[in-house]
Amino acid sequence: MAATDIAVIGFAQTPAERRAEGNEVQLLVPTVSAALAMAGLDRREVGFTCAGSCDYLTGGPFAFVQNLEAAGAWPPIEESHVEMDGAWALYEAWVRLQHGDIDTALVFGSGKSSPADPAALWPQQLDPYTLAPLGVDPVSLAALQARSLIHRGLATERDFAEVAVRSRRAALANPHAQVRGEADVEALLAEPYVRDPLRRHDLPPISDGAVAVVLARGDRAQALCARPAWIRGIDHRIEVHQPGMRDLTESPSTTLAAERAGYDGGPLDVAELSAVFSPQEGILRRALALPEGTDANPSGGPLAANPVMATGLVRIAEVAARIIDGRADRGLAHATGGQLLQHNLVCLMEGR
Amino acid sequence: MSDAPKQDLVMAHLVSLRYEEPLSRILDRFVDGLMEGRILGHRCPACRRVYVPAKGYCPLCVVETTEADEVEVADTGVVTGFTIITPVAYYGQEETEPFVYASVLLDGSDANLGGQDIVGIPHDQVRAGLRVRAVWRPPAERSAEGITNRGWGSVGSAIDAFTPTDEPDAPPEQYAEHLF
Amino acid sequence: MSSGERCAVVGIGQTHHRKRRDDVSIPGLVREAALRALDDAEMTFADVDALVIGKAPDAFEGIIQPELFLADALGAAGKPMLRVHTAGSVGGSTFIVGAHLVQSRIHQRVLAISWEKQSEGNAQWGLAGGRSRGIGAGGAFAPWIRAYIERSGAPEYIGWQVAVKDRLNALRNPYAHLQLADISIDRVRESPMLWDPLRFLESCPSSDGACAVVLTDEAGGRRAARPPAWVEATSVRSELGMFPGRDPVRPQAGVECAHDVYRQAGIGDPRREIDVAEIYVPFSWYEPMWLEGHDIAGPGEGWRMVDDGITEMGGAFPVNPSGGVLSSNPIGASGMLRFAEAALQVRGLAGEHQIDGARTALAQAYGGAAQYFAMGVLRSEPR
Repeated sequence: MAATDIAVIGFAQTPAERRAEGNEVQLLVPTVSAALAMAGLDRREVGFTCAGSCDYLTGGPFAFVQNLEAAGAWPPIEESHVEMDGAWALYEAWVRLQHGDIDTALVFGSGKSSPADPAALWPQQLDPYTLAPLGVDPVSLAALQARSLIHRGLATERDFAEVAVRSRRAALANPHAQVRGEADVEALLAEPYVRDPLRRHDLPPISDGAVAVVLARGDRAQALCARPAWIRGIDHRIEVHQPGMRDLTESPSTTLAAERAGYDGGPLDVAELSAVFSPQEGILRRALALPEGTDANPSGGPLAANPVMATGLVRIAEVAARIIDGRADRGLAHATGGQLLQHNLVCLMEGR
Repeated sequence: MSDAPKQDLVMAHLVSLRYEEPLSRILDRFVDGLMEGRILGHRCPACRRVYVPAKGYCPLCVVETTEADEVEVADTGVVTGFTIITPVAYYGQEETEPFVYASVLLDGSDANLGGQDIVGIPHDQVRAGLRVRAVWRPPAERSAEGITNRGWGSVGSAIDAFTPTDEPDAPPEQYAEHLF
Repeated sequence: MSSGERCAVVGIGQTHHRKRRDDVSIPGLVREAALRALDDAEMTFADVDALVIGKAPDAFEGIIQPELFLADALGAAGKPMLRVHTAGSVGGSTFIVGAHLVQSRIHQRVLAISWEKQSEGNAQWGLAGGRSRGIGAGGAFAPWIRAYIERSGAPEYIGWQVAVKDRLNALRNPYAHLQLADISIDRVRESPMLWDPLRFLESCPSSDGACAVVLTDEAGGRRAARPPAWVEATSVRSELGMFPGRDPVRPQAGVECAHDVYRQAGIGDPRREIDVAEIYVPFSWYEPMWLEGHDIAGPGEGWRMVDDGITEMGGAFPVNPSGGVLSSNPIGASGMLRFAEAALQVRGLAGEHQIDGARTALAQAYGGAAQYFAMGVLRSEPR
């Protein structure tokens, strides 16, 4: 039985930008400091640190090593790194905290998507023998998924546009969002396809950003934070990689992860979903069996800001924020890895 | 299953990726300095250590540094550690002759410039403690080529190498703690 | 970590490490190790609760996050999968992340796999960051090796001795890449200089290879088909690679990591209480440097242990009876191979390179600018 007295007690994120001025470390330094300050912790008190990033995105082997400079790794620290979204770095930190010998952890995720062309870069994430040489980019893959939804009668292009409108409107209240404003569904639908049936508004922006989250356990969490966001459960599951071997209209790994994280389908005050493409929100809502009317992505979600390698951890931070400041009692955050929702993580949080 | 030998089933997939990132404001200033023959760094407001090039933060204190913390350091210094690299051929390699790979602690700096060439002295006489000065390119030939936001302290194509000053070697106390 | 549920290694598998494994694709390479580990544990993929994958920079093969496409080959659908990346130490930290999942009682059976198929990419290009004038794997370490030699007064042949010892050990390891039956001090000394003072034959090869371990809880260890190895201690420590005042020759993170595992395992005198050590030595001189860097030998005494033959297979403190990284270096797997070989020793399953009576083994992996450390202590019986 995993410990349920581990909570988010601090966080910080950079505003997502199309082209951030500094390098990844320069984005992380103030972010990490701000998260620790919110948590009321000196960096030397942190028991375990874990980071998530992608060397290839940053553009060099061992690129993640420099990010250690934001973690304050002197004197030496207990630290690790995953080549995954920061949400999985949080998972590793949560696992580490289970042992009970340390009671705080620092987690961060970061990525600059601006230097490389995502359409050229991300095909290299695919099966190198059968898919990568085809050069199929994330938008084209997402379009295949969208086409499946339409073909099955599960969604329409109008549904996709409505997700985008809600995202941009919600993002007006989010100082970290990149794409925000009032938009009209008809006007959006009049725009040309980027990759049939997806239009510009169905796609995430290209973002640079970083996020840091502080975890604490038990009494320490309560001493440091008036209303910690307790992690009731967290789990992640992967599916097969070959898109032709999956039903792209469903996300069984999300369903399974939610179940294992202890989400029983009951009411949620907030859900932050890593629906990187607008059609994916509907897929995730169904996979989670979210109650009708659940406020999904009040931050605007990835359609408003998509700092790859931080996006998932930002979802956790956004849910935690609303619990910590009392706006929500129960929330669910979802992170995804790979293309087409291949790998999914669900984190269920509650104020007590 | 194909009867072809496995080796015949190998396909070469060449991928070219282009990463374009404007230099950060701090490195931009650093490059401006190099063009003028000056080497700029930042002094940490907390611990007073000087980093060249500046990172925009002190990694030991994890506090930000800005232009307000800018200092100039000398273009002379001491070799703190080195090796002689024998180049191996690989895609993109242009080197064919052994070259020096040295860390140089510039006078006034607390952090080394890594990966510097030492010229004007036989390789077997290069040593830790050797006093050196920068070999600048003529101003018109200087460029920022080689300097990136993810660089490790390169002086790009403004300073090609360092060369002995013929001063006596620096005593070990001065550089022993700056091996890397 | 040593508290929580006991963790046992009940299955170990590795590939035949070679310069080029043209006979298998990447999935084939990884499955070769995974299936050997599962067979050793008398399990199948269906018995695995979670997977942890580790490998070095993806630029070495040119595939971003390859564990995603490997999910299909590893029966991972419906399971959690993590991908660890901590530079050269990654094989070790992957083992440790896997152990944590068991020790925290989140999963009962974890399959941890580390690998590298360097022949399918261009590791030299990768190490050089895609640029000319790369310093290769050893260039960064050579200046620190020079400093060690100067500080300790070690004679120049110590590195050659280690290079010969490890390759002779490898002749007793059917999986090892380098099988240099004619290795000798003369051959090493006469091999081309790469990064002064390191010569070609004092340096690790570039290998294709994979290593896999099956980790279970105490119940799994007790009912295992073959004797398990018990994970008595694990620790990771990292430090900044470059800062004023850093000692890269004897990194503080390495000292602290070692003392953490000694404390967890109840070891007061590592030199006497450890029967065998598998330590990440990619360049010959790192054997004496790590003996000192982990306080197995006193300052300036590491090279004497080598000189006196103490680290030979027949010596009082055998180091790298498998042949070590100097004989096989699929970079992502090399760290896990240290833990796997340490586990084989205390299980009594190391075959021709078995150290008689080995009951307590030390495993160590390091990476980056000698700034990442992953260490562990494995025992035949839990404490």
